[in-house]
This record gives sequence, C-alpha cells and structure tokens, in this order.
Amino acid sequence: MRFASFRPASCVVATATLLLVANAPAQAQTRAETLRYVTGASVNTLDPNIPGSTRESFALSMSTYDRLVAFGRKQLNGKWVFDLDKITGELAESYDVSSDGLKLTFRLRKDAKFQDGSPVTAEDVKWSLDRCVTAPILGKAQLLTGSLTSADQFKVIDPLTIEVTLPKPDKLALPNLATVYPMIINSKVAKEHATADDPWATAWLKEHTAGSGAYVVESFKPGEQVIIKRNDDWNRGSPDKPAFFKRVIVQSVPEPATRANLVERGDADLVVDLQASDVQSLEAKGKLKVVSTPQYNSITFVSMNNQIPPFDNVNVRRAIAFALPYDDMFKAALFGRGAPLFGATWPDGKPLTGIYPFQAPVKIDLDKAREYLKAAGLPEGFSTTFSFNVGQASTAEPMAALVKESLAKIGIKVDIQKLPDAQMSTQINEKKLPLFTEGIVAWLPSTDYFYRNFYTGNQRWNYSSINNPDLAAIAQEARFEPDKAKYEEDGRKLNAIHFSEMPQIPLWQPNQDAVMASSIEGYTYEFHRQVDYRDVSRK
Amino acid sequence: MVRAGRRLLSSLPALFGVLVFTFLLMRVLPGDPAVFFASGPNAGKEEIEQIRKQMGLNKSVPEQLVFYLSDIGHGNLGRSMMTGQPVLKDLRERLPASLELTFTALLIALIAAVPLGVLAALRPGSLVDHGVRMFCALGVCVPTFVSGLLLIYVFYYLLGLAPDPTGRIDVFTSLPPQRTGFLSIDFLLAGDIDGWWAACKQLILPAVSMALFVIAPLARITRASMLVSLGSDFVRTARSVGLSWRKVVITYALRNAILPVITIAGIVFSTMLGANVLVEKVFSWPGVASYALDALLSSDYAPVQGFVLLMASVFVLVNLVVDICYGIADPRVSIE
Repeated sequence: MRFASFRPASCVVATATLLLVANAPAQAQTRAETLRYVTGASVNTLDPNIPGSTRESFALSMSTYDRLVAFGRKQLNGKWVFDLDKITGELAESYDVSSDGLKLTFRLRKDAKFQDGSPVTAEDVKWSLDRCVTAPILGKAQLLTGSLTSADQFKVIDPLTIEVTLPKPDKLALPNLATVYPMIINSKVAKEHATADDPWATAWLKEHTAGSGAYVVESFKPGEQVIIKRNDDWNRGSPDKPAFFKRVIVQSVPEPATRANLVERGDADLVVDLQASDVQSLEAKGKLKVVSTPQYNSITFVSMNNQIPPFDNVNVRRAIAFALPYDDMFKAALFGRGAPLFGATWPDGKPLTGIYPFQAPVKIDLDKAREYLKAAGLPEGFSTTFSFNVGQASTAEPMAALVKESLAKIGIKVDIQKLPDAQMSTQINEKKLPLFTEGIVAWLPSTDYFYRNFYTGNQRWNYSSINNPDLAAIAQEARFEPDKAKYEEDGRKLNAIHFSEMPQIPLWQPNQDAVMASSIEGYTYEFHRQVDYRDVSRK
Repeated sequence: MVRAGRRLLSSLPALFGVLVFTFLLMRVLPGDPAVFFASGPNAGKEEIEQIRKQMGLNKSVPEQLVFYLSDIGHGNLGRSMMTGQPVLKDLRERLPASLELTFTALLIALIAAVPLGVLAALRPGSLVDHGVRMFCALGVCVPTFVSGLLLIYVFYYLLGLAPDPTGRIDVFTSLPPQRTGFLSIDFLLAGDIDGWWAACKQLILPAVSMALFVIAPLARITRASMLVSLGSDFVRTARSVGLSWRKVVITYALRNAILPVITIAGIVFSTMLGANVLVEKVFSWPGVASYALDALLSSDYAPVQGFVLLMASVFVLVNLVVDICYGIADPRVSIE
C-alpha cells in the first residue's frame, strides 16, 4: 500500500502485531440478540418534545414510550411502509369515533404497566396529553394540526377510559395521537420531578424516561451512543410477545464511508443514512439486504421566492420549470434512487389525481423556456443565485452545477451559494433567497395538510412565499371535508393551481435506503423516517 | 515557580480578550441558531421565539455579554442546544478523549521524529537524509483524513486486524470506573488488562494517522538544530578528546539541540488538539474538536465559545509546561 512504503517497515509490523493479539471473546451469544444501529446523527434528548431534538431522538422515543394509538403498516411496491389509514391501539385496547366525528373514546389495556411496574391509568394519559398542548414544547404545534389545542378537550371517564372532544370533525386528530410527541408518561414519577418553574418536568424528562415502552434506556451519552434493553413485559406489538432484540445499540458514526464499512463487515446490523454511491456498490455486491423505499411523505424542491422579482412573474417560474435538466439531476444527485415527480403526461391538461405530491408534466424543453422568458419580458435572461445548505451538499452540489449549466443556455446567469445549515434556515425564514433547493416532510401526508402547511401564510415552511387566496380557501375547506369524492375533487383543483402557478418545482421523493445484514427482517419505513427498533428482528 | 505564576497571571488579559472576541464573533456570524433548532415539522414563529428566549438571544448584545461573563465567573459555560447538556459537562467528558489521542499521537511522532532527525543530521546529503526528507514530505502532503481512511481500509476492512473505528472503546466492552478520563490509564487502575488492550487497539490507528502528519515538522527541526549543534565548537572539542560517539551525539549535541524541538512540540500539541477534527470524524472519536465543529455548523454559540476558551487555556498551560521543560533541558534558561 502506498502509505506503507514510506513508513519504516518495522512500524507497520509492530502496529499489525499489536492489533492481532487479543480479540474480544464472550459476546458471540448475545451478539445475535443485539441490534447495532449506526447513524450519522445522534440522539440529543430522551424527550422528543424538547425544542431542538433530533430525528434520532424521535425514533428512540418510539421505543421507550407508548402512545394511545399507532400506525399500522402496508406493503407499497413490495416494501413495508407505515399506513396512515390504519390506526391500531397501542396503549388503547380499542377506540371509538362518534358518528359526528367530535368525540374519540379510548379504552386502555388492563395489562399495560409502566416500566416501574405501576399500571397505566387514564390520569397518566390526561396528564401527558395536557402536557403536550400546554407546556412550551414541540407537541403543541403538531397537535394543533389535529384541532387538539386545550387541556379541556381531554376528559377522564374512569381509570381505564379517556375521552377526547373536538371542536370540528378533524380527520387528523386521531393520526396526530400516533405521532412522536403525544407519548404517555408516568405522571406520578414525572410530577415528583416537576418544579415551580417547570411544572411539566421538561428538564428531568430530557435526561430520564418514565414510560411504558418496549425498551428501557440502559445508558445515554448524548452525541455518542444510546443503549436500550428490552422491556420483557411489553406486549403492544404482537400479542404476548415483547420486542425481538434484547438490546439495541444506537451509535453515532459521523463518517458515511465508515458506516458503509461497518455494515459491510457485519459489525453493524442496520444503517439508513449511507451515501447513494455506497448504497449502489453495496447492493451490487449482493451480500447485504438493501430496502429502498421512496420517502412518500417527503419531497425535494427547487423553490422560487414568488415575492421577489423576477420570480414574482409566473412566466419566469414556468421558464425555470422547463429549463431544468431533470433526468441528469436525478441521476447525478440520487443515482436515480427515488421516485421522480417530473416527466408525466397529462392528456387533457388536467391533473390525473387529487393526491399531493403529484407527478407534473414538466421536462427539459429549452425552446419553451425561452418563449416563457420572452413572455415575461426578459428575453435576455437575468442573474440570480441558487442556494443549498452544507448538510445536503452530497446531493445538492452536483444538482446545483447542472442547474447553473442548463439555465445559462437560456441566458440566466446563476451563482451557486453553499450556506451553513443555520444560515440557510435563517435566510429562508426571512424570505431572502430567490432560488434554492430544499426538502420538506410531513408526518401525516394528506393533500390538504401539505397545501395548508407548505403553500399558505407568511411563515417559514411556505418556501415559495406563494400567496394565493383560492389555493388557501380550497385547502382550508378540504381539511374538514368528510366526503371522499369531494375531497379528491378539491385535491385536483389544488394540483391544477399548483401546476399553473408553478410556485416551486417538485423534483422527486428520495429513497430511504436501509442497508442491513441479510439476517435482519421486518424493516418498515416509518413516518419519522428513522428505524422503529420494535419492527425489526433477526432470522 | 514564581516565574510560572507570573506567566500564568500575565496570560489572563489575553484569555479575557479571547473570551470577548469569540463572543462577538459568534454574534456577528450570519445564521440564527433559534431558527435552525426550531426545525420540527411544525415549528413556527412561537417556537423560534421560545428558543431565542431560552438561549438568551432576546436581549441586546451588551446585555448578553454581561450575562455571559458573569456566568463564566460562576463556572457556567452555558448549555449546548445540540446535545442538550451543559457545555462544561460535555467538554469535561470529551476533553480526556482528545487529550489521550493527542498525547499518544505526539508520543508516536516524537519517538519517530527525533531519531529520524538525528539520523538525517549525522549524514546530511546522504541517502538516509533524502529518505527522511521524502517520508516527511509525504506525511505532510497526505491529509490526515486520507491517511485515516486508508489505515481503516487496510487494517480494518481488508485485513480485519483493527477493531471497528467507532470511538474509544468497543461497544460491547464495559467501561472502567472513571478516574482520569484516560481510558488506557483507567483500565490499568482497574486492573482490567483486556479492557486496556481493547482501548489501546482503538487508539492506535487514529494516533498513527495524526502522528504521520506532525512527524515532518518535528523531524525537520530536529535535523536543523542537530546540524548546528554538531558543527559547534564544543562537539568538535568533545570529538577531539576522543569521547564515545554516544556521549558526543546524545549527551552533548542532542541535549543542546532539543530546545527548539520542545518549542515546536508544544505548538504542535496545541494545534493537534484543536485541528484533529478530521481524524475525530473519521474514527468517530468523541473529542472536543468534532464537537466544536458540529456546534459551529449549527450556530450553537455556547459550545463554540466554551471550546475556544478551553483551547486558549490549554495553549497557556502548554506554553507554561514548555517553559518548565526548557529549564530542565537547559538550566541556564530559568535564570532571569
């Protein structure tokens, strides 16, 4: 090897012999019962409700806490994904929705116990849900999307029954209770650690758990690793059975190449955040199992600020939409690993579906783009910047180069701006970026939810800053539309507005590439886009 | 001792300056940490405001500075948004990891560099000299993360000799009771030889890839200073009276040549501690440098400020140690 030739040979030999001697024995029998999951991110809090908590923290809390209900799973093109429409009981043995949709009644499991052995009661559920809508934590904004806003809405009927009342028949109320935040906390334990300044024990719960989940935290080193061990009494997954793995190690390994090495050598069992190029080569070698699921609740965009000239002109936005080299970008950025949202054909010029995100009839057509530019009164083109954040550089960098090259052909001069993540989010929040790429994700991917959150209002997630009263009105109306056919009709209208206004250009839904040892089974793509450790087992 | 104390005192204004400067620099950098951390799928204005309040960013900059300084006075470095822990706790846990790695790397570098430099100086212009020069040039040319990745590729991936490059200790090994924070020492104190071995194995590859990078300056300075010393009158005299080779080279020449090496070693040490971020990333080493980099990328003020303060203090201490070493190597220096 190259470096060996310039080091004294004796040094190499010494290193080699040092490493050769002694190899850790006596773990072989427990290794099969342990899941070692490596990730580039890290867990930073045991309570996912704390502002600033990471996605890995979300995933961990799914295993350490239970919720009232959980999402089922379904097969999508042969791969398991979460099912938004099938909601099953987790701590709730069963639930009823009243005929007017205003009352949800949950009956708790009689055998459910917290990890300290005390039973789970309706009081605990009420305290936890109250905390979620009252305390200054992340759950508040999430539950708001399901019309859950006040502690008065949660009523204890008897020790095992709790009733939730809604001001309006909101379809998203029930799914919201299955998301990360409304986890059920052992209120007796939490209250002991509450203080006058902190009545909801947020400081204590950040570093400790008090739940009824499938796993108990054994050791927690923020930024490095978390080790959890199985709660043998837990039976909320399959009847009478706890989770499969006795231990799960969640370890942070920042370097993607190292993560790929680890899983290939069999030292790690599962990883979901490898670079696309590594996934491709590992898949080609065929030793490991690779499950690629399009992240059907997330979308990558090229966004334009609809309030800043020249992007306030719809023809300029259309020109951009027909000047992007979609196929090349898709290959260069993702190695084609994802579901494209471009290149559709709409025979009668109308959306084929009322579901968002939809595949749009856009493809590269420079002549058409030039015509649109002419119609916008800018036949000579203009100069602008294209921004992306450092965290997404591996996909966005090749993409940016292609955008620049292609837009130059229609006279638009693009400067590429690579911004540190915090700077990018600030600029987006202040609506200062004219042209950029970003991604969004929705935990509860329904058409009206996407449109309401990402296309209305003067707020951060409205990347394109579109202000279209029709769109806002239809989306708002669709939210409470009980009739499926009418909802579909509203969806089509919204999609049609999206295509004609072209506020931003959806590109694709990137794949979640889960790479795992061939013995691992049951991996499911979850709404939080991380691994739910309770899903997986070893053959 | 008096001299050391005075040195320490005189560095306090510099430390204070570093403190204020870093504080202001972080506030001037574009990027609002509150917006970054309010990144849940539904985080809106309210969440951003709340984080801002939590981080104390809703006050004016001078006010923030006063609060910050008074916190420092009470030994409180603030809380990291990234890890959710007090910065002091984070640094206390991570500093030993960085120190252990840096010390080992420096030791390896010195053991390799001093003999190489001496050899090159004994026969300037010879094949040995050129060989050493080439080796040093290569060591400096190859960035540490490249040599790190190469070492991983060969010793872990291809040969399977090294343990997986994931931090200070194999995940399945239980940790010794914490005394010094240096795992290799803690294991020895606990009498756990297997554990000690495991910790050392994890340490070798990152230490070697760091050492490769700093061998060059150390070897070059040893060579230059040995050349001067070998050409000086006292060595000529020593040779002429027929003293043994060993006595001439080691006792007289090297001892006189070692002062600049100590200086450079001190500087190299401080630089390595802060600049080994790439090695720490590649080997998932839970050290202070990668911690500071992550914090910087997410505009997490408190850890960055804490890190800079720590580095400045380490620099002051290292200078002090270097001064003391001077005194040992050459007693004339300590006479004022």
